[in-house]
Amino acid sequence: MSSAPMVVANGLVKTVTTYEGALTILDDISLEVAAGESLAIVGASGSGKSTLLGILAGLDLPSQGSVSLNGHLLTSLDEEGRAKVRAENVGFIFQSFQLLPGLTALENVLLPLELHGASNARNAAADFLGRVGLSQRLHHYPQQLSGGEQQRVAIARAFASHPRVLFADEPTGNLDSTTGGRIIELLFELNRELGTTLVLITHEERLAQRCLRRIELAGGRLVEAHS
Amino acid sequence: MLALRLLWRNWRSGEVKLLAAALLLAVAVVSGIAIFTDRLQHTLVQESNALLGADKVVRGSHPHDPVWEEEAARAGLRHTTATHFASMIYAGEHMHLASVKAVGEGYPLRGQLETSTTAFATRPDQIDIAAGIPAPGEAWADSRLLPLLHLQLGDRVAVGEYELRITRVLIREPDSGNPFSFMGARLLMNEADLPLTQVVQPGSRVQYQWLLAGDTAAVDNFAAMLETRFDAHQQLVDIGSNQRGLGRTLNTGQRFLLLAAVIGVLLAGVALALAARQFANRHVDQVALLKSLGTGSGRIRRLYFTQLMVLALVASLAGLLVGELLQRTVAAALLQAYQIRLDGPTLYPYLISLASGIICLLFFALPALWFLPYVPPMKILRRELAVNGLQLWLQVALAFLAVLILVLLFSQDLPLALSVIGALTGVFAITGLLAFGLLRLSQRLAGGAGSVWRLAVANLQRRREQTLVQIVVFATAIMLLLSLTIIRTSLLDDWQAQLPEDAPNHFLVNIPPHEVDAIQKLIETRHYQHQPLYPMVRGRLTHINGVELSATSVAREGVFNREANLTWTDTLADDNQVVDGAWWPEWQSQHGLPGVSVEAEMAEQAGLKPGDWLTFSLGGLSLEAEIASLRTLDWRSMRPNFFFIFAPGTLDDYSPTYITSLHLPAADKVFINDLLRTYPAILVIELDRIIGQIRTIVNQVSNGVQLVLWLTLAGGCLVLLAAVTSSIEARKQEIGLLRALGSPRRLMLGSVWLEFSMLGLLAGIIAVLGAEILLAGLQYWVLETPIKPHVLYWFAGPLLSAGLIGVLGVLSCRSAVNTPPAIVLREAG
Repeated sequence: MSSAPMVVANGLVKTVTTYEGALTILDDISLEVAAGESLAIVGASGSGKSTLLGILAGLDLPSQGSVSLNGHLLTSLDEEGRAKVRAENVGFIFQSFQLLPGLTALENVLLPLELHGASNARNAAADFLGRVGLSQRLHHYPQQLSGGEQQRVAIARAFASHPRVLFADEPTGNLDSTTGGRIIELLFELNRELGTTLVLITHEERLAQRCLRRIELAGGRLVEAHS
Repeated sequence: MLALRLLWRNWRSGEVKLLAAALLLAVAVVSGIAIFTDRLQHTLVQESNALLGADKVVRGSHPHDPVWEEEAARAGLRHTTATHFASMIYAGEHMHLASVKAVGEGYPLRGQLETSTTAFATRPDQIDIAAGIPAPGEAWADSRLLPLLHLQLGDRVAVGEYELRITRVLIREPDSGNPFSFMGARLLMNEADLPLTQVVQPGSRVQYQWLLAGDTAAVDNFAAMLETRFDAHQQLVDIGSNQRGLGRTLNTGQRFLLLAAVIGVLLAGVALALAARQFANRHVDQVALLKSLGTGSGRIRRLYFTQLMVLALVASLAGLLVGELLQRTVAAALLQAYQIRLDGPTLYPYLISLASGIICLLFFALPALWFLPYVPPMKILRRELAVNGLQLWLQVALAFLAVLILVLLFSQDLPLALSVIGALTGVFAITGLLAFGLLRLSQRLAGGAGSVWRLAVANLQRRREQTLVQIVVFATAIMLLLSLTIIRTSLLDDWQAQLPEDAPNHFLVNIPPHEVDAIQKLIETRHYQHQPLYPMVRGRLTHINGVELSATSVAREGVFNREANLTWTDTLADDNQVVDGAWWPEWQSQHGLPGVSVEAEMAEQAGLKPGDWLTFSLGGLSLEAEIASLRTLDWRSMRPNFFFIFAPGTLDDYSPTYITSLHLPAADKVFINDLLRTYPAILVIELDRIIGQIRTIVNQVSNGVQLVLWLTLAGGCLVLLAAVTSSIEARKQEIGLLRALGSPRRLMLGSVWLEFSMLGLLAGIIAVLGAEILLAGLQYWVLETPIKPHVLYWFAGPLLSAGLIGVLGVLSCRSAVNTPPAIVLREAG
């Protein structure tokens, strides 16, 4: 484990207003994730995992507390500033893959590279799809791919822009056990190879165990932390 | 460029096709109509100007300033002169008070002179188009002048102090409706001979005309400049001031076309708004993903805006091309069917069409997409997060603003724009309320019905908001289509009714009192349709309530500035209607003066009302009369119509001549010759060509109307399709789920069919109601035709609407019902 922290959260509180009054989703959460480290966030449904992931990744702001990512204090930046930090540092993998249905596998991977203005983007995207075993599926649309294949495309898309931190929201949640296993292998293999910091939410014990560290949320509070 | 790549990918996946189609249609409708109308208008003005002999004429009691000629030449205009006067001409012992016209080189500037070597020639092979004007020393004579003066071609006639040789018979000429032509048979001579006749002396009654022709804008500018230099004895004449009937038909036609264009654009606009909404909803996830990948709001706005503008440009250009092809097709059909060649269009309609494309995009599509850059990035993780779109009322308000701008752009007519907006607002409000009420009613009625019914009604209720929007959209589209169909039918009927096959096509003027009985008998033995013979005296209005006319504001306006035909009658023609005051014998004079009935529009122009007293000059004698009534009349009826009708007996002392109109079948044209040989004093005004021209115009406009109706129908179908497909995604998932749970295919299709048919029926009922309201408004304020209900459509509208929308619904959902549920669910998920 490297010593320099990649993600630092201090005293995070998130409250939302509902019809029945204010609801606290996250309550005083502080944590650090070192560069190159892998962290699993576990907990029951509704425990606040997705909200925490969103805040750590700069997709949302906490009601109180601060977050910094690769030295950028996200809570002091506006949306445009946070977008810039995300563009330079962050990759995502989602439970429901979030591939754009109108784009082929190659174009889905190409999208972040094009947004970042990467040179030789097409070759890089094709190369990453090859690394996840989909070199024969470049021009297939998401609908023509199985769930596992779709998630591989999503992994290729996430790693293609060489993010420093990869946030994954239940990456194996929509997959069967065998396929899920293969996806986990792929994820950690690329993580190792590229030295990416990994923060993921999971229900799956197998996946949580592969991480260097895990924390558990219950009712919006940090109840357990394991190394 | 990334935006273009994204646009191409969106296009390939079909997400922007509906958007592009709606935009293309909007521009195609507008450009088709605008270009066609533009060409039509130019052609009609040219054709009409042929009747005048020029684009514009400066008329005066003294010649024009010669300095103007140089200026006209500098402005690129052609010009010539025509001098009208009445003169007694002699051939041996015979004489006749002829209507002489001395013309300069180049006359006429528009239209042509038709001559023959045979008097009363009717066969085309006997008639030539003259290449010029009579040579000096020569003259061309009206057919009837030959029997009147016992002349042959080659004989000489004396005009004042000079003798001219008759070399041709003049069959037709422009400007034959000039009041100066009413005086006697025409003699056309060369202007160079005019001084030699010594007829025109200081104080002679002469009308000098300076004719102008050229590029429309140049003529207009030059004429406007000239008008500022006119003295009290000069005036500008163009076809608008001469041809009232023609102008009105054309005006109604153009207003209809304009209205149809606006309705077409409105429909395409609604389709565009729906398509944009669908596009925006589909792109919420894409924007959330782009944001999670670090794309800022500004860049997202630029990406989407660029895509939209490029799409708009391409679709507008394609729409322009389609519009151009459409109007060319109609123009080609016109050429083939009626041998009418339309003039080329100007640049304006092309620009206005492109502008409408942009306006449609900005006001109909952009508001629906406005929220996209504001989609929170967290939406990617929490799909239930609400996204605030632009308020619906604001989107509707913007759409209304667009309609206002578009109508103003086309018509520059604020009342028209406001009446369209007013009608639409009313219809929207009523539609919303009625749809809500009918929806509740259907729920109550479905309580005891079978499962197909219950499922269909339950679906309608559950998606109440979406259902209401759909009903409003369906109802609006069907309402607009119904209105347009009804207006078109009644407009065409109206035109046909105005000009029936047996409409009078010849006027007989100048009938001496002692020939009235004989002529009436002659017409009756031939069984021609004819009007009564009206006595007629020419007179000039000189005072209003004792104030000299020259001191009033209307002194130089139209009829006030010239001699008018005065008549008297005890029975009102059936196209005349008293709108104020009383018709004799009910009328009682307040001042003990004879009564006169005045045409209402003219009365309004001069602020005249019953009880006012007018002074006329009739051949130097003065006559005072009191206004008994104001009367509306139909100038399009082709019957003798009068601005002033006196009580019977009032004009007995003023030696009247008589006037009538009759319908002469084309084959009996030779009757005129027989008539004129026997009664050479009579002047015959041939209106058959003008009527033919009006028919041509009606045909042209009708063709345009037909084209426009098809285009708007296409727009309407696009709206329906957009509205049906907007709910299909959610529906597919439900159908998959219900199929997975074992619902039979028939139940699913049956309920979809019933649901959409019910929607269609409700929308149809509302549409019929809305259409009646809209039509009443349009007929009253815009088209000025009588308001009447259209009972047939009350039944046909809802049934057709139910059928059409039911079928569209089933067709859109059929694939979801027929495909295995697992696949449907996977695709929808």
